[in-house]
Amino acid sequence: MIEICVGTSCHLLGSQDLFHVVEALPIHRQAKIDLRGVACLQCCRKGPSVRIDGLVLTEMTPDRLLGVINDNLVLR
Amino acid sequence: MPRLHAEVAVAQLSKTGEELCGDKVEVSRAGDTTTVVISDGLGSGVKANILATLTTKIASSLLKHGIPLEEVVNTIAQTLPVCRERKIAYSTLHIIKLRADGEASVVEYDSPASFLLRNGHVVPFPTHEKVVAGKTVREGYLELQENDFIVAVSDGVIHAGIGGLLKLGWNWQGISSQLASNYSSDCNATEVAEGILNCCNGYYLGRPGDDSTVVAMKLRRSRKLVLFTGPPSDKSLDERVVKRFLQVSGKKVVSGGTTANIVGRITGKAVKVDLSYHDPEVPPTARIEGLDLVTEGVLTLTAAIDRLNNCRRLNDASFQDGATLLARLLLEADQIDILAGTAVNPAHQNPNFPSQINIKNQVLNKLCAKLELIGKQVAVEWF
Repeated sequence: MIEICVGTSCHLLGSQDLFHVVEALPIHRQAKIDLRGVACLQCCRKGPSVRIDGLVLTEMTPDRLLGVINDNLVLR
Repeated sequence: MPRLHAEVAVAQLSKTGEELCGDKVEVSRAGDTTTVVISDGLGSGVKANILATLTTKIASSLLKHGIPLEEVVNTIAQTLPVCRERKIAYSTLHIIKLRADGEASVVEYDSPASFLLRNGHVVPFPTHEKVVAGKTVREGYLELQENDFIVAVSDGVIHAGIGGLLKLGWNWQGISSQLASNYSSDCNATEVAEGILNCCNGYYLGRPGDDSTVVAMKLRRSRKLVLFTGPPSDKSLDERVVKRFLQVSGKKVVSGGTTANIVGRITGKAVKVDLSYHDPEVPPTARIEGLDLVTEGVLTLTAAIDRLNNCRRLNDASFQDGATLLARLLLEADQIDILAGTAVNPAHQNPNFPSQINIKNQVLNKLCAKLELIGKQVAVEWF
C-alpha cells in the first residue's frame, strides 16, 4: 500500500507528481499497488511525505519513489 | 418552530433599445428582517433609472435606520414628485418587509398588487387603501406560513404582449394563473422569478416594450452550515470542539488535513481521501462518514473565495474540486458558523510557499467578509 500525503505543505512541495509516478506505471504493475491519499502524515516540514506499507518516508521525489516501488515489486 | 429565512430572487429586463433598466430593486437584511424596495421610474432608460434609484435608496436608507414603515411611506409620498400632465408619480414605490417569524408587511404606491402564492394557489396580498400626504397608498400585513411566496412585478410584466400576442397584455390574472399552474412549494425563489420573467419576455417576443421586473420572496427553513477549520491551539480542547461541531444541525464541513485527522480520531471514523477527481490548484477532498465535505485547509479556502463569484464553474457539475464544492455548500446556506482553530503549523512559514498560507486567519476573515457581503449570516469562534 502506498499512501501519499495530500496536506497543504506536501501538496505545495509536489505530492501530485508522486501520484503521476504511480499512474504512469504499466497496468500490470499498477495492479499490484494499492494507491491511496492520506489527509496529513504530520511531517509537514519534510514533505512531500509518503507511507509505504506503514513506513513513513519524507522528502520524497518522483525518482526516489520509482526506485522504492521497483525495489518492493521485485522483492515480491 | 424551526428558524425561517426569506429567500429573495430578482429578475429584470430592460426595454428594448435601452441600456439601463428604469426599474430598481434594493434588497437589505438586518437581523431577522429582509426588506425589498422596488421602484419603477416614469418612462425608461437613464432618466427612469435615476428616478427609481433615488426612490429605492431613500426608502432603503430610512428603513435601515429603523424609521417605521408608515413614516418612510409618508416621507417618500411627500417628496415624490407627480407629473403635472399625466397626474402620475415620477416613480412608483413597492416595499415588502418579511421577518423570520413570518410577519410580512407590504406597501404599494402606484405599483401592481403583490401576489401571495401558497400551496399552488394565488391570491392578491391583502391590502387596504390609505391616504398618505395626499396620495393613495395600499398597505397590508399578514402572517406567512413556511414555503409561502410573495411575488411582486412592475408594470412591464403586467403589460407583456400588449397589442401583440395578447391584446390587453398579460395582466394580473394571467400572471396569477401562470404562478398557480407552474410553481409549487418545492420551487425556489430564483425559479419563480426567472420563470415569470422568461414568460414575460416570450409574450414580448423577445423585444420588451417596457422595463420588466419580477421579485420573488420565499419564506423557507433556514439552512445552516458549520465549518471546522484548523486545530485548536490547546490540544485539550479537541474533543470539546469536535462535539460542538457534530451537535450543530445542518451541513458539516471540515477544512484541513490535521483538522480532519482530529475529527477522525475523536469519532473513531476513517478519513478516506478521494482521488477520483484531480485539480492542479486544489488538493483532493476526503470523506468522513456523517460529514458533508472534507477538504484541505488554506489553499482550498483561498480558492473558494474566488469560486463564490464564478457562476460558470459553480453551475457546471463537471467541476468537483474541493474549492468549488465548498463554495456551492456555502452559497446554499443562510447561516454559517465557523469553528476556527488557531494552532499554527510551523511548516507553513516556508518562504517559498504562497504568503497567504502563513496567515490563515486573514484568509478566514476575507471569506467571512465575502459571505456577509452576499447576505449570509456568519459567526466565527476562535479556539
